[in-house]
Amino acid sequence: MIAITLLELKKITKRFGGLVALRDISLSIDEGELVGIIGPNGSGKTTLFNVISGVYKPDSGSIFFAGIDITSYPPHRRARMGIARAFQIPRPFPGLSVRENVAIGALFGVGGEGLDIESALARADDVLRLVGLYEKRLELAERLTGSEKKMLELARAIAMSPRLLLLDEVMAGTPPASIDKLAGIIRELAREGVASVSLVEHVLRAVAKIVERAVVLHRGEIVLEGSVEEVLRSEKLREIYLGGVRFVA
Amino acid sequence: MDIGDLFFNITSGLILGSIYGISTIGLSIIFGIMRVVNVGHGAFIMLGAYAAFWLFTIYGLIPFISAVVSLAMGLAIGMILFYIIMRRIIRGEELMSLIAMYGVGIFLEELANYLWHADYRGYSWYIGAIPYLGLRIQLTAISGAILSIATIAALFVFLYRTGLGSSLRAVAQDPVGAYICGIDVQRIYALGAGLGIGLATLGGVLLTLYNPTGIYPYLGHPYTLKAFVIAVLGGLGSILGAFLGGLIFGVIESGATYIFSQLGSPSPGSLALFLGFVILILILLIRPEGLLRR
Amino acid sequence: MRLSWIARVQIILALAFYAILWGLREVFPQYSQLLTLVIFYTALGQAFNIFLGLTGYVDFGYVAFMALGMYGGALAVKYVASTELPPILALVLGPLQSVAMAVVVASAIGLIALRLRGAFFAIATVGVNEGLRHLIEGARIWGGAEGVIIPGDLRKLFGDEGFGYITTAYADTMLAVIASCAAIATWVLKNSRIGYGLAALREDEDAAKVMGVNTTKYKIIAFITSASFGSLIGSAWGLKVTTIYPPEAFNITYTIEAVIVTVIGGAGTLFGPLIGGVLYTLTKYYLGVALPGLQLLIFAPILVAVATTFPRGVAGSIRMIYSRRYILRELLR
Repeated sequence: MIAITLLELKKITKRFGGLVALRDISLSIDEGELVGIIGPNGSGKTTLFNVISGVYKPDSGSIFFAGIDITSYPPHRRARMGIARAFQIPRPFPGLSVRENVAIGALFGVGGEGLDIESALARADDVLRLVGLYEKRLELAERLTGSEKKMLELARAIAMSPRLLLLDEVMAGTPPASIDKLAGIIRELAREGVASVSLVEHVLRAVAKIVERAVVLHRGEIVLEGSVEEVLRSEKLREIYLGGVRFVA
Repeated sequence: MDIGDLFFNITSGLILGSIYGISTIGLSIIFGIMRVVNVGHGAFIMLGAYAAFWLFTIYGLIPFISAVVSLAMGLAIGMILFYIIMRRIIRGEELMSLIAMYGVGIFLEELANYLWHADYRGYSWYIGAIPYLGLRIQLTAISGAILSIATIAALFVFLYRTGLGSSLRAVAQDPVGAYICGIDVQRIYALGAGLGIGLATLGGVLLTLYNPTGIYPYLGHPYTLKAFVIAVLGGLGSILGAFLGGLIFGVIESGATYIFSQLGSPSPGSLALFLGFVILILILLIRPEGLLRR
Repeated sequence: MRLSWIARVQIILALAFYAILWGLREVFPQYSQLLTLVIFYTALGQAFNIFLGLTGYVDFGYVAFMALGMYGGALAVKYVASTELPPILALVLGPLQSVAMAVVVASAIGLIALRLRGAFFAIATVGVNEGLRHLIEGARIWGGAEGVIIPGDLRKLFGDEGFGYITTAYADTMLAVIASCAAIATWVLKNSRIGYGLAALREDEDAAKVMGVNTTKYKIIAFITSASFGSLIGSAWGLKVTTIYPPEAFNITYTIEAVIVTVIGGAGTLFGPLIGGVLYTLTKYYLGVALPGLQLLIFAPILVAVATTFPRGVAGSIRMIYSRRYILRELLR
């Protein structure tokens, strides 16, 4: 099977004043890959996501998505191409219903231009059934519980028919009962060719379920890369986290 | 075009500009500390102007005293305003914060209109004039400029040499960090609001020193626009920026008014104001953080 | 665009409201002044709501579009009166010219200023109204500070009886039609893909961008639409007042009233401006009998109270209280 490169970061550098948040980051992600970006607080993970989704412009370097140079593309254009993002602290549209929240993903994600409202709502229903929020579809998003909002966050991203999922700490704060379900969805999407990049600060055993290849970020640089088993066992990682990696069973 | 006249205009522009600066600093402070845009800013300047008028007309208090009274009054009003209104809008939707401050300004103007009617008021207080370039500059105007400079000096001493002032700066930079350091952020916000409003009312008094006529309830409108131009020019949140921006704007306004009148416009002041608006747009587009910010 | 039956009921109710108001004018001529004012204020709110309600941005210089509309209509009348063209052209050219002017100015402002974030955009608009007015006065455009006076031209085109008709029944009908169109525009937008994008951008602009909403484009669309309706209202209003001069045309009071009607009624909802318009007009009218000019003094604190504690306004708050009742919630959208 030929692996098609989906996302390519070439020597990305991003500075904030005197602080170098990302230094010469080069990274390549193929279709259907499950990648994890591991790193402690301040390592630059969120900045990396902001650069990929277009919120920040890199000071130098370039980004290619499906072979196209998207370095200067604004966020909404990247979303239309298939880059979807789920935030660590969920940001649903509070005044809209659960269904409408997800429908917006369908309307403005890949192929959304031709979609009418009815179809978008129908697709939203499908995705909600998948994540188990269908019963609450008419509720206002602000009324959901914390973990339901996390599921909603994922549902919105999925509704965009993405080719690349940017998942920010999606496992943290998810109740154990939902972890397998979440992992199942992400892995199923991967089988269909959707790549997932997960940001991981607290390495949980659950992380291994949605990460096959791990990239360790420290102070804006990639210091380690490999399969998740190799990386999680390495000394380097222990050093970076000061006191070793703690597995939470 | 008479060069002497032009220079006279530039000088008066500087004098007026220093007063503009003080009037605007309040706007910058409130934004810098609380991220609230006081859309009703001009109404407080109007209150200050009326304070100067009434205190002079009824009690014979000279504007220098009114200035102090105004500052105290504005401080109190600002703090009350914070506890009733601003406290609630800080964490809400930005749109509603703008609407709320807009409503406050309108309320004050309508109240002034109801209490004091829409007639133009003025007072006259002559303490002498000095000859300059063939014309005369009123000592009241010069004293207004001197008071402005004194105020900003005092403000700097307060902000940089007192504990309370440092707390204000800390909260402006990082409210969470300040909170962790034990600063009562809500009280500092209230103080910031009081200071911001107080400086606006003080500005109103000083404006009457420059021009003691034309005081009416809707006086604030052009000043709101001018304050925004100046604040954005100097960088929202920057005190020195607001002051310097005021000076620059004062000069540009006076100079432009003079030039437009020489060009035969029947309302040179109007055109100068339009120019001010154009400058605002240009700055917002090109360098929204202000010309004088690092 | 297949719509739910609730949405269909919504727009029928809104249109019925305007039809009833307009019809009542005929049945109760003694109330025609009041009814016309209700139509005017609800129309203003409806037009203003298209931008403020749907995007969450506020244009403090909104009255400038109404003023442009007044000028557009009046100048068309003056132009046709000075030629041998058929008089009816004045009534056709007026609105067209008004909209054209609004579109040009709104596009300019939109392209320049809508890239700015909310508060900065609001700051920029504070000056639009004053700026435009001072430009007209200072550069003596369109009669400068003296303004445009059209009763003479109207009489010349339509005769004395025609003058009476146009400045009352015709202008009132025009207002009712414009209000209805603004309601329809609001409703169409809200139920379309653009509407969903606008709702997303109002709730959380950054999240909307990341989800693929082209926020700048949508803001501009809403802005231009809102401005166009504002100018049309001005065009009709100009036929009623027949003298257009800068301090009155650019009177900031109109912006204040538009904000009051929209926000108190319920920004972003279809019925909000209707509710706000009725409340405001009734208060202004009946208060005006005893204590003229006090309505703003009364409504300003109400506006502040709404902005701080009930930001969704009357319609929106009712909607939230009954948010579990799907039908009511959708009806008050």
